Order: sequence, then structure tokens, then C-alpha cells
Amino acid sequence: MNLLELKEVSKIYGTLKALNNIDLSVPKGEWLAIMGPSGSGKTTMMNIVGCMDKPSNGSVILDGVDISKENPRSLTAIRRDKIGLIFQQFHLINYLTALENVMVAQYYHSLPDEKEAMQALERVGLAGRAKHLPSQLSGGEQQRVCIARALINYPMLILADEPTGNLDEANENIVLDIFRQLHREGSTIVVVTHDPEVAEEAERIVVLEHGKIARIEDNHRGEQEEG
Amino acid sequence: MYLRMITASLVRRRSRMLVALLAVAVGATILSGLVTIYHDIPHQMGQEFRSYGANLILVPSGEETSLSGTDVKEAVSYFPSDSVVGVAPYRYQAVKINEQPFMAAGTDLAEVRKTSPYWFVNGQWPEEPGSILVGTAVADLIRLVPGSQLTITGNDANGKVFSRDFTLSGIVQTGGKEEEFIFMSMADLEDAMGDLDVIDVVECSISASGTQLNSYVQQIEASVPAVTPRLVKRVTESEGTVLTKLQALVYLVTVVVLLLTMICVATTMMAVVTERRKEIGLKKALGASNESVTKDFLGEGLILGAFGGLLGVGLGFIFAQTVSLNVFTRPISFRLSMIPVTILISILITGLACLLPVRSAVDVDPAIVLRGE
Repeated sequence: MNLLELKEVSKIYGTLKALNNIDLSVPKGEWLAIMGPSGSGKTTMMNIVGCMDKPSNGSVILDGVDISKENPRSLTAIRRDKIGLIFQQFHLINYLTALENVMVAQYYHSLPDEKEAMQALERVGLAGRAKHLPSQLSGGEQQRVCIARALINYPMLILADEPTGNLDEANENIVLDIFRQLHREGSTIVVVTHDPEVAEEAERIVVLEHGKIARIEDNHRGEQEEG
Repeated sequence: MYLRMITASLVRRRSRMLVALLAVAVGATILSGLVTIYHDIPHQMGQEFRSYGANLILVPSGEETSLSGTDVKEAVSYFPSDSVVGVAPYRYQAVKINEQPFMAAGTDLAEVRKTSPYWFVNGQWPEEPGSILVGTAVADLIRLVPGSQLTITGNDANGKVFSRDFTLSGIVQTGGKEEEFIFMSMADLEDAMGDLDVIDVVECSISASGTQLNSYVQQIEASVPAVTPRLVKRVTESEGTVLTKLQALVYLVTVVVLLLTMICVATTMMAVVTERRKEIGLKKALGASNESVTKDFLGEGLILGAFGGLLGVGLGFIFAQTVSLNVFTRPISFRLSMIPVTILISILITGLACLLPVRSAVDVDPAIVLRGE
């Protein structure tokens, strides 16, 4: 069963077609990587799937709801309840501790639970750094806090934008280990990346070029499908 | 979590928030200081105006030609004791010095010093019985100097001629009618006249606003029929005019300061919003509704308003006290009511100042966190 479906999705800015007639389905539990050069439409696609933008044409079905027809208030609610966002630049709130950064996501979702937030940090191996401010954490640690924050509300879809883009190899492996574990547990993950090694971890790789799907690579079967 | 979050934002970003807090505190200080001065002006200026002479006189009612001490005492009891600067009774009597006619006034000279502090006396104020003051015009006419001996003659209450020797203690200079009078103690005049308890007029110097004076007049008119109280309009009206203008000026300055504070806080908060666009975008990306973002920023603003207001109460009193001591040379009393008033107004002003920045915060696009701006 598909968790996410994009049907003939286009996004047009003036005369520029950032996305051009995209059709894509993401089954529940799949790990999908989106690759492509700068300006290929990756970020636009993330914005639309992440309920932060609407397509100019087409429909986007997330968990059976056409989010292209929802108003901004509903999109905020969908983003809060169904999506976990992981960013390349981590985007932690600099005046809150690691624990509080995780609790912020709980606060906007429902009710903050310090114990549960601490468990989320334990899961990413940061229980000992819970009371530290972002400025006292390394890049890899900050990314792990960002992952803990994305997971705290048990999202249906994890959207990660270049999650290892700012990390060294050791931290990249730690983050990928967490992703592997999430995938084994059945999470649906969509990762935008430039890094072929990260993309290789996914079940499928969607390659975008000039707003169109250039090809889709199936890592498990080693098959390649032209877009 | 809400309080934890906004407290952390204020405490851990204190260098940024200190600027906003200072803006609010400076506004609150001036507000609290000016409002304290605004309310204290009538009291302070009332004291100043009392140096210009009596503002209320008591005269006999109807056909009566004089007042009794009992009536005067009853009328004066309607003035609050802490407002009474001085009450000077006068009894006038035509007398002669070297066969030249003059008007003598028997009075309480100690009270005259309070009701007419503007009198300039060349020499000494009389302290002993038999000592008198004369006006400059009288002294010039009969060539008197302080220390001169003189004999005053006249007809007493029974029509018999009296003659009394006096020592000139001082010469009064006022620039007014007083310079044509002879002033002696009421006891000396009563001794010469041979009767007691006759008062022609009472000059009262009361520290009160025009409205309060009118209310005393009405009370005396209603309760002491033998006495007719009259306001010295020349004094009370000019007092009222000056006070109104001064208060209007302070009010205007207060409003301008509040507006400037609002602009200052709004600018600071706008800078805070601009600086925190990414954070706002992140919160929205995490699912914060517009109401939540509004609540976060307003919460910070209102806490700043409350603390700035509290700081302003203390600093405002110091400001008002300094102004009062330097301008009026009198201390000012602390008004407890200024604590809630200043804090509430500071919160209100900060809240209003935050409206535009909050609106701007709500408009932040959550997608900026993905664009890496």
C-alpha cells in the first residue's frame, strides 16, 4: 500500500518549471533516495511532500489525503502529525538544550514528556548530552538530536534533506546506522542526497533532472527504469 | 514547556533581550516618573503658590460689620489641618500719628508671616508687645526708621480718645496697599480699643486646588451663616491656569515618551524576529500553528514588558524624586498605585509594539529551513 503518491505534479514559478509532471509512488516502509544536480527540483519536491508548499498542478496523496487541496492550517496539522523532518543544517534552537529541542516537537504536537524525549535521545546515543546546548555539541551530535526530534512523534514519513551533508565519515556512518534501524522497524524514509553512498543505502533512487524524473534505480533488484 | 521555552529564550539570549528590556525599562521609568510628577504637581506647586499670599478670605455676612473669634474658628475647622498654611485675622482702626490720619491693622503677626511670605521687612518683625510695623508710605511720610518711637492716638470703642506709645520694629515693603498701613498685634490694638473679639476680615492661605477651595467655601457657607468665605480669584484662577498648563505639558511629554518607547520596542522586536526567522521557520516546519508562534513571541514581549515595568517603577521614583528635589526643592512621596499602573501600561505598550513583529513572524515561510537561507 502506498503511503505517498505524486500524480502529474508540476510546480511552476513564472516561466520556470521547477517540477514537471512528476509521477511517483512510495509504499509504506520504503527507503527512497532522491538525487539530482542543483536546480533539478529536489528541494521543491521536498517542500511539496513536506506540506510546506503546494503544487501548481497535479495531486499529492499522503496517507490517503490529497494534501495539494488542503489549506495552510491543515497542512500545518499534517506536517505536525505525520511527517518527521531532518535537515542538513540540523536547525536546532540554539537557546534550548538537546532535550528541550526534542521536547519542542512534542510541545507543538501534543504534550511534552521529558522521559520520552530522553528515551529518544538514548536511542540516538545522546542521553549523556541531554543538558547540553547545540553550541556544545559536535555536528554529528547535533544531527542526532535533529533525528531524535524528527522521531519523537512517531511520524508516518521521515523526510531527510541531505542528512549527512555536513558530517564527517564517522558521523555519517552513525546517522546511516540509525536510518537502517528505522528502516528495519518499518519506517518510511525519503532522503534527498548528493552522496551516492547514502543513496546506495535506499531501496530505490529517484534521479531528478530539470524538474523531471530522469530515471529510477532499484537497488535491491539492480534494475533501472527510465523516467 | 511554554514557560520553559520563553524563559530559556530570554535568559540564554540575554544580551539580545537586554536591549529590548532596556527600551521598555527606559520608557517605563519616564512614564512612572512623569505620572508621579503629574500627580504631585498640584501639591508641589500649591506650596509654591502659597508664597503669593492668601487665596481665601472670610468676611462678615449680610449686615454684620465684624466676625467673632468663635465663628472664625468654626469656619477654619473646615480646612484640613495639613492644608492650612496660615490664617491671619485683621481688625482695622483709623488712628493718627502727629495728627495725620492712618489706618492701623491689628493682626496675628506670626500668621501674617505665613500668609504673606512675600512681605519684605526692613528691620525686624515685632516680637515684643508695643512693637509695630509700618508700611513704606507711612514711614516716608513721617520720616520713621526702625527703632523710632512714636505715639498713636485715636478713639476707642467707647468713643474716648486713647494714646499709646510704640516702637517701630520694621518697615514693610510689598509694592501694594499694605505700604499705607500700620501693623500691630491684635492684643495691642484690643488694649487700645478697650474691647475684644472684633475681627473685620480673615486672610487664609490654604494649600488646595481650585475645586477643593470651592468645596470648602460651600461647606462654610452652609454651616457657618455668620461668615462669608470668598476666593481670591486673582490667585486661585492663575494657580488653576498654571497647573492645568503644567499638567498638560507633562501629559503630552508622557504620551510622546510612550509612543517613542513603543517604536523602540517594536524596532527591537522586529530585529529579533528578523534574526530568528530560521527558528520561526523551524517551529512552523515542526508543526507550530500561527497561534503558537504568536503566543511564543507575545509571551516573550509581555514578560519583557512586566520586568521592564517593574524596573521602571523603581527607576521612575528615583527620577521623579531627583526632579522634585531639584525643581521644587521638596521630596516626593512614593505612590504604591504606580506599581500595578506602570507594569500594566508597560505590558500593554510592549504588547502593542509586538503586534507588527508578531505579524511578521507569523508570515515566515517554514520552507526557509529547507532552502538553507
